[in-house]
Amino acid sequence: MANYFNTLALREQLEQLAKCRFMYSSEFDDGVEALKGKKMVVIGCGAQGLNQGLNLRDSGLDVSYALRPDAIAQKRQSWKNATENGFTVGTYEELIPTADVVLNLTPDKQHTAVVNAVMPLMKEGACLSYSHGFNIVEEGMKVRDDLTVIMVAPKCPGSEVRAEYVRGFGVPTLIAVHEANDPKGEGLALAKAYAVGTGGHKAGVLMSSFIAEVKSDLMGEQTILCGMLQTGSILCFDKMIEEGIEPGYASKLIQYGWENITEALKYGGVTNMLDRLSNPAKIKAFDLAEELKDIMRPLYNKHQDDIMSGHFSRTMMDDWANDDANLLKWRAETAETNFEKTPAGEVEISEQEYFDNGILMVAMVKAGVELAFETMTAAGIIAESAYYESLHETPLIANTIARKKLYEMNATISDTAEYGCYLYNHACVPLLADFMKDIKSDVIGKGLNVDDNGVDNARLIEVNDALRAHPVEAVGAVLRGHMADMKKIV
Amino acid sequence: MVPSTRLASIQLNNATISFEDRFTLSELDWTIEPDQHWVITGANGSGKSALAAALAGIGKLEAGTVEGLPERVGLVSFEAQAELIATELKKDDADIMDVVSLGTPVREMIFEYCRDGELANDLVEKFGITKLLDRAFRKLSTGETRKVMLIRALANQPDLLILDEPFDGLDVDTLAMLQAHLAAIVDHVPMVLVLNRFDEMPDFITHVAYLDKDRPDPVKGSKKPREGGRLAFTVDRQDEAAFNELYQLLHLKTTDLRVPEADPASRLPALDPSQPLVKLTQATIRYGDTLIVDRLDWTIERGQHWQLSGPNGSGKTCVLSLITGDHPQCYTNDIFVFGFQRGNGESIWQIKQFIGYVSTALQWEYRVSTSCRNVIISGFFDSIGVYTKSTDHQKKIADQWLALLGMQARADQPFNKLSYGDQRLLLIARAMVKHPPLLILDEPCLGLDDMNRQLVLALIEKICEGNETTVLYVNHHTEDRIKEIDNHLTLDKNH
Ligand SMILES: NC(=O)c1ccc[n+]([C@@H]2O[C@H](COP(=O)([O-])OP(=O)(O)OC[C@H]3O[C@@H](n4cnc5c(N)ncnc54)[C@H](OP(=O)(O)O)[C@@H]3O)[C@@H](O)[C@H]2O)c1
Ligand SMILES: [Mg+2]
Repeated sequence: MANYFNTLALREQLEQLAKCRFMYSSEFDDGVEALKGKKMVVIGCGAQGLNQGLNLRDSGLDVSYALRPDAIAQKRQSWKNATENGFTVGTYEELIPTADVVLNLTPDKQHTAVVNAVMPLMKEGACLSYSHGFNIVEEGMKVRDDLTVIMVAPKCPGSEVRAEYVRGFGVPTLIAVHEANDPKGEGLALAKAYAVGTGGHKAGVLMSSFIAEVKSDLMGEQTILCGMLQTGSILCFDKMIEEGIEPGYASKLIQYGWENITEALKYGGVTNMLDRLSNPAKIKAFDLAEELKDIMRPLYNKHQDDIMSGHFSRTMMDDWANDDANLLKWRAETAETNFEKTPAGEVEISEQEYFDNGILMVAMVKAGVELAFETMTAAGIIAESAYYESLHETPLIANTIARKKLYEMNATISDTAEYGCYLYNHACVPLLADFMKDIKSDVIGKGLNVDDNGVDNARLIEVNDALRAHPVEAVGAVLRGHMADMKKIV
Repeated sequence: MVPSTRLASIQLNNATISFEDRFTLSELDWTIEPDQHWVITGANGSGKSALAAALAGIGKLEAGTVEGLPERVGLVSFEAQAELIATELKKDDADIMDVVSLGTPVREMIFEYCRDGELANDLVEKFGITKLLDRAFRKLSTGETRKVMLIRALANQPDLLILDEPFDGLDVDTLAMLQAHLAAIVDHVPMVLVLNRFDEMPDFITHVAYLDKDRPDPVKGSKKPREGGRLAFTVDRQDEAAFNELYQLLHLKTTDLRVPEADPASRLPALDPSQPLVKLTQATIRYGDTLIVDRLDWTIERGQHWQLSGPNGSGKTCVLSLITGDHPQCYTNDIFVFGFQRGNGESIWQIKQFIGYVSTALQWEYRVSTSCRNVIISGFFDSIGVYTKSTDHQKKIADQWLALLGMQARADQPFNKLSYGDQRLLLIARAMVKHPPLLILDEPCLGLDDMNRQLVLALIEKICEGNETTVLYVNHHTEDRIKEIDNHLTLDKNH
């Protein structure tokens, strides 16, 4: 199978990458009607499988689970997830032939095997859906002509997909129809109904393409979302220890710091995050971020280029073929880092203190968000997509670090994201070595040591203007506005 | 300042005091220090006047101890006033003379009684009753006798002043005069005031005692139920937070509450009145090998308030979540709710629209920062937080609820900055805002202190009194009952 993206002409590639439209809520007026009475069979009952299934069932849809024989025989976690929640569970042979829609929610690396196994069992004219387009775009999976192929990709970890639904809301979701596989022209209607069933329509849906989803999703998760937070955690922790900060304090400042500072991002973008700092600290963070952007820009470009060319997916697939040698090695190395091994201390850190003593962390988030956004849009990805894959998802990933550090983050994200995260970290830690030499505890651990908070007016105006003028702020303001009154909540 | 020659403190230790077998005050643990000034307040019929009278030595001590009651108590109350008038009238009957008795003149009533004649004179003038001095006491109007009572109490150099609703029925000028006089003597006389309204509370009051209704056991051999009250809690005025809560509680307890109307624009679909609201048939919940709920049959008819009890872990919340649709096993059980047989293509939002729900878990869900008003508005959408544009009318209804709770000033404050008890009240309002056919209150008093329990229960009682909403009240204490609820289901631990 060839990389599907690479088989397209440049003109077509650009057209697909630029596909992205924020949908009106009136486009979802039909609700779940298109899926009413249809049989939805989910393959895999992990993070996405279980939580999407729970939502779809609570929206009145008919959901059951097809698991591989071993999972059923050994009563594995996936089997428990499904049965304890009262779902019907069966083998591919039992369930797939009855399915009107098959939801492939297995790990990306299993997709080729899974789709090859279920495709012959699927009934004529049924629908196959994904929550990530890797298999179609990067592996060039060819699906039977009579089948409709769609994607409904929640821009959140599975646990959030459920939690937001239960509160009466949803998570922003990207939908797409694989144009090569839409024989009856019903792909869009099915994808919309599916998005409604998961609650996604309440938080905003982007109509996109498989290609735009994959190329932006990979970029975001490798760089700012997971990679930058991992590298930042490791470097900031080691620096604080070097500066003589109490290890328990350092560990806590980082573990909960990402969550606290990116909460401000969620409400009001990068501008608001920096506005939480005192004026001298804001200027400091701004300068550090500028420096970081200069140093890291080639790395961000390389990630985007490798994603576009297919180099990234090829090397990752080589690693799959090599029994995940690199993935497992990097995972073990992560577990051995000082940050990961030092438990958070019992110290009290106020919300504001996370900002004041974490200036470097704020700078890293700013640099990462802006670089990822700039790189994606320069590669032809539309601003809305780039926003979701950078700024929007950062707080959600930060929450996972607050729960159980890097371990939790890497366990919650998809295997593809985990691989990409390590890949980034591997390159970024040495890249920032020189920069880190000049860093002292005033920007990480202790806060600025200034006599007063005075700053130069002209410089402050310059910094404030630059913050507000960044394109990620403009599109962010619009998209957060779309989330209606939820501004206060997410 | 001159050191005042003050009395010792008054101490009630676990005292029970009965009043002619009609009314009993119990659980009286109370200390009044000589430099304190108290207000007694509480629910209607909780025995506020009885407690005030008890300090004047009225009533029979059944148990416990009462120490340090001063000898000379100035007591002004409707009961004392009625008694004095009755005595005067009796004098009339007793004097069988050929001349018709004129009764005791006011002058005599005041000056033969009061130890401080000068002050009495002064007060007679200030109260504007000089013209009445030669009138017979029993010929006075109620307002006039009250003034006489006040003068007698104030001018008799009392060791303790007990004024039961002293401001009731006084005209504005007299009221101001009395308040000024009281303020002037606070350093010399400890005072206990019975007040129903907080806005009348003088600044010099240092403490508040709150009474609640109680149902004492009937007297042996008598079938007549007795009325009673108990001292629920006391509040130091310095404790601002507690003081504000008390204000709210009184507001709920003493104003004639009307639950705000439903929003006509978001009316719920009509339910078939011949069908029960909820019917669980052989409901069973298990986790792996653990059986949590075992073949439970339960029907909730419209208008039937229920209390669900049982020890922790007996599956109360599980059963509720079968009804609300929050439990995944509601799809594997035989559940009929609000016209839907579960698992036939209905969405949980179609079910939830008929339910108002309050629980501690829900309160935790609200850790996000959102305004008090929005918390109430979110009840229209069954969501946690507001994600949909709300109408002006919905905002208005939310404000009416806030007013009912005495929280209108806090409409725009963040919910998570409120006290635990206030949060609970708001969540009850949130649950009620759409006038749901079923209101589920899962341990609504959990984690609340005495005052906040009172607040929450007062609100629940108001809701039960209306006939629109069927209440399902969950509590693990079987004995903690609400008087309007007469159906009980108790779950046992079966694992
Ligand atoms: N996690 C996220 O944040 C996220 C967000 C958006 C989209 N997605 C996408 O959602 C999809 C699912 O990801 P996930 O994170 O939910 O995966 P996951 O948690 O790892 O769950 C995968 C499930 O698939 C089953 N499975 C694994 N290998 C299988 C095989 N060869 N055949 C059949 N079943 C197999 C597993 O069960 P057994 O091993 O017990 O059989 C497990 O239940 C991916 O396409 C991912 O990119 C994920
Ligand atoms: Mg992703």
